[in-house]
Amino acid sequence: MPLLEGRGLCVDYGRVRALGGVDIEVEEGQVIGLLGPNGSGKTTLLNVLGGLLCPTEGMVRFDGGLVTGKPPWVFGRLGIGRTFQIPRPFAGMTALDSVLVGVTFSKRRTLFRAADRRREGERLLATVGLADKAGARSSELSLGQMKRLELAVALSARPRLLLLDELASGLSPQGRGEVLRFYGRLRDRGIAIVAVEHSVGTLARVADRLILLNGGVIAAEGPPSAVLASPRVAQAYLGDGDE
Amino acid sequence: MSASPAGLVAATALLALLPAAGLPPYYLHLLASAFLLATLASAWSLLAWGGQISFGQAAFFGVGAYAAALASIHGVVSWAALVLGATAGAAAGALVSAAALRLSGAPLALATFAFAEIGRGIAINWERLTGGGAGIVGIPALPGPASSPRAVAYYLALLLLTVTLSIFVWMARSRLGLALAAVRDDAERASLLGVNPAAWKLCAFALSGGLSGAAGGLYAHMVRVVAPDLVFSAWYSLAPLIMATLGGPRTALGPAAAAVGLYLASELVLQPLVPTLHQVGYALALIAAVLFLPGGLGGLVGRRRSAAS
Repeated sequence: MPLLEGRGLCVDYGRVRALGGVDIEVEEGQVIGLLGPNGSGKTTLLNVLGGLLCPTEGMVRFDGGLVTGKPPWVFGRLGIGRTFQIPRPFAGMTALDSVLVGVTFSKRRTLFRAADRRREGERLLATVGLADKAGARSSELSLGQMKRLELAVALSARPRLLLLDELASGLSPQGRGEVLRFYGRLRDRGIAIVAVEHSVGTLARVADRLILLNGGVIAAEGPPSAVLASPRVAQAYLGDGDE
Repeated sequence: MSASPAGLVAATALLALLPAAGLPPYYLHLLASAFLLATLASAWSLLAWGGQISFGQAAFFGVGAYAAALASIHGVVSWAALVLGATAGAAAGALVSAAALRLSGAPLALATFAFAEIGRGIAINWERLTGGGAGIVGIPALPGPASSPRAVAYYLALLLLTVTLSIFVWMARSRLGLALAAVRDDAERASLLGVNPAAWKLCAFALSGGLSGAAGGLYAHMVRVVAPDLVFSAWYSLAPLIMATLGGPRTALGPAAAAVGLYLASELVLQPLVPTLHQVGYALALIAAVLFLPGGLGGLVGRRRSAAS
């Protein structure tokens, strides 16, 4: 049984069909890369899988249970984590308090003592290299640090599945290298990942499977080498040449 | 303006000595009224901690006042009537939160204002229960020594304020405070981490409503009369908002200190000077706070402290 299963997912924004019947399966510990040009429906698919958007049609199952239409906090408690392309830190809170939200409220954790939760929060910040920024607010962090905090916040709820939206975008080559290492560590911990990255190269290096979205439907999917060799990739990004 | 538990206990002990020190009854009543307003301002700040702005604290104050008054005139002992007032206020808070579940920001503020007006409307029109526009008179006095009837109300108002401030200090460090702060900053993000925003917002409303209701119940027993235009007055919605905004809603002591300071300044200084215009002081304080004091006086003190350290 797959950890996450989406069937026939459609999303309409008014008259615009953003997703036109997408099927997706994610196995435990598997890394899936989503690629496609701007407007192809990648973020919309992440929003549906993460519970932020109820699909117009179709259904989502997580760990065998139907979760379509459930409120976002149910998705969070079940163990679906999420990062955003533009980091969304808790602006009025310190980095430590930000990670304490997931540490405290995730049903997948049982840290009853405040001191234990604090220690776990500090450990999470250290994991992403922000040990010395525990007391900093988001306005005091660089973009790279905010992206790392974004990841720590998503990890704070101890997810079984992470939906990562362009974690590497906007970063320096060094920052992108760090993100690649994070992907490796998350994979080692057995966390399943659905990742959107602008850089096809980054995705190909970390993903077990790639899914190419174009116009809200799956244009190609399979192992990275097979998908990247497909003429549909060039077609999706460059157009089909008939126009 | 953070508050340590030891500081709170010391300040309370000092204030508790005032009646014994021979402060005249008029000033005891004035201070008790100031403590009730301080309670309302702190209760308002409990909501603001979670990003919920209320224009309708009078709803909870009024419901608490009527519940306690009705219980008292039907023979319930005063302390139980006060508990009933707090319970009714908490229930009203929970009800408002449940009804306004999907609202936030300005629409929520307007909805709370509407609830206060609905409360006033019910108090006017349900004559058999509430006595209509004339209200309920003859509420029994609080038990206590006949020689100092004001002292009992003073002690109870001080106790209620101390409880409210203690709850605020506890809340700011608790799971409730963390959940509300996360919901205030980004409710969607918080929910993805397992926080159920509606449940925590309802908790905040019930807590704020309960404390405001307790203040209403005590007020009813202090003045021994309740009427729609008295306890559901917009004053009890606006005063906490102004006082907390000036004091700094994210600080424990700021709203209460601003409430006591503003009220005493208005009653003791402005009232004798400009009797017809003394409430202008509140308007000027609000304008000044909005223009020059983001975070209020408490926020200013906090920034000074962190700059000095």
